[in-house]
Amino acid sequence: MPDELPAAPWAKPESALAQRQLRTHRAVELITDAGKTLLENGGEVFRAQQTMEIMARALGVPGFHCYVITNGIFVSADGALHEIRHVPSVSMHLARVEAVNALSRRLAAGPGAMTLEEAEAALAAAAALPDPDPRWQFLAGVGGAAGFAFLFGGALPEMLLAALAGAAELGTRLLLARLAHGRVSRLFANVAASAAGALAALLCGSFGPLAANVDTATIGALMILTPGVSLTMGVRDLVNADYLSGTIRLFDALLVAGSLACGVALAWLLMGQLGVPV
Amino acid sequence: MSVWQYIAHFIVAMAATACFAVTFQVPKRHYLACGMTGAVGWLAYLLGTGPLGLSAPLATLLAALPLTALARLYARRHKAPLTLFLVCGIFPLVPGAGIYYTAYAFLHGQSAEFAARGAETAKIALALALGIALVCGLPLPAPKGRPDQQPR
Repeated sequence: MPDELPAAPWAKPESALAQRQLRTHRAVELITDAGKTLLENGGEVFRAQQTMEIMARALGVPGFHCYVITNGIFVSADGALHEIRHVPSVSMHLARVEAVNALSRRLAAGPGAMTLEEAEAALAAAAALPDPDPRWQFLAGVGGAAGFAFLFGGALPEMLLAALAGAAELGTRLLLARLAHGRVSRLFANVAASAAGALAALLCGSFGPLAANVDTATIGALMILTPGVSLTMGVRDLVNADYLSGTIRLFDALLVAGSLACGVALAWLLMGQLGVPV
Repeated sequence: MSVWQYIAHFIVAMAATACFAVTFQVPKRHYLACGMTGAVGWLAYLLGTGPLGLSAPLATLLAALPLTALARLYARRHKAPLTLFLVCGIFPLVPGAGIYYTAYAFLHGQSAEFAARGAETAKIALALALGIALVCGLPLPAPKGRPDQQPR
């Protein structure tokens, strides 16, 4: 969309008005998409709302109002403009959050600091920041599992066992994602991953050279999957008097925790059937 | 615990937090800051539960204060959103194990255990959220070029 269309002389007043409305519309789309990018990559609700309001002020959008909750954004502007975004799931990608934040900083630096076109390009670049190498993600998860086994009072055998169980969890997840082409149900993935982790910990921890405290190792490995952060962020929303967003996050955390416990219970049942003392 | 054990915990907490910074896809230049935030929070928690003899929720509240202060400092220094440092830094303190045990007791029909674990988990989460809110609510002079944005 070019900045200024060559207007036909007979249509000049209308086209100037139409162009201003067009630009306002584009600005509102940009702002709403920035908010969506923040939400779906792990930004807080109030931060998304604040950022959108700052951007609207910087871009001079008249009559801008927005309402943000954990999984949706509602915007109206200029009397007749409305935008809605649904954010069904969050996957943490804090580099994108930082990039959108940097964009809003540049926009707010002063009038004329950034044109609408530049801002649109910056947002597209932020949303397109690549997912890093899954091998690094895997290694980091395994390292985190071992670290938490230590923090929860484990020694070297527990750390190794937790690393193994964490590897089983993450491997199951990656495998499922590949088999289902990334469209695997979150509930199923959680049950399968925690069952695989618990099975690995029980099998290797009960026999052989890795005999260790299986409980410490299991909980260390499960820390990768537990929704502790979303629980805490939910309570933060509640403390900020944003009851709707807080409740959504709390229920999400409960669902995830329930599916993890379900997976571990399945693993124990299976081992009980096989005659392994648990 | 001996001094060496505290040092070992500090280093492992730093490494584990940095690992979670990787899984949360934080840009590389913040790894060390995230690790420090998490390690300081965990050390404060250990000191709270150990020598000071506090309960887990109280120690969490206490630990959230220096943790959030450090996260705010890093956020301002690195000109990055507070969330980056906070989400990674609170990881050692979040009641991940607690919420798991709560769900486990619920599924196994252990009502008393469920209630006890659930209450403990809720207290820890609330303590953490309150600690964060307390430090974030402290008014500071606005950073240059951004007069209208204060963290909450």
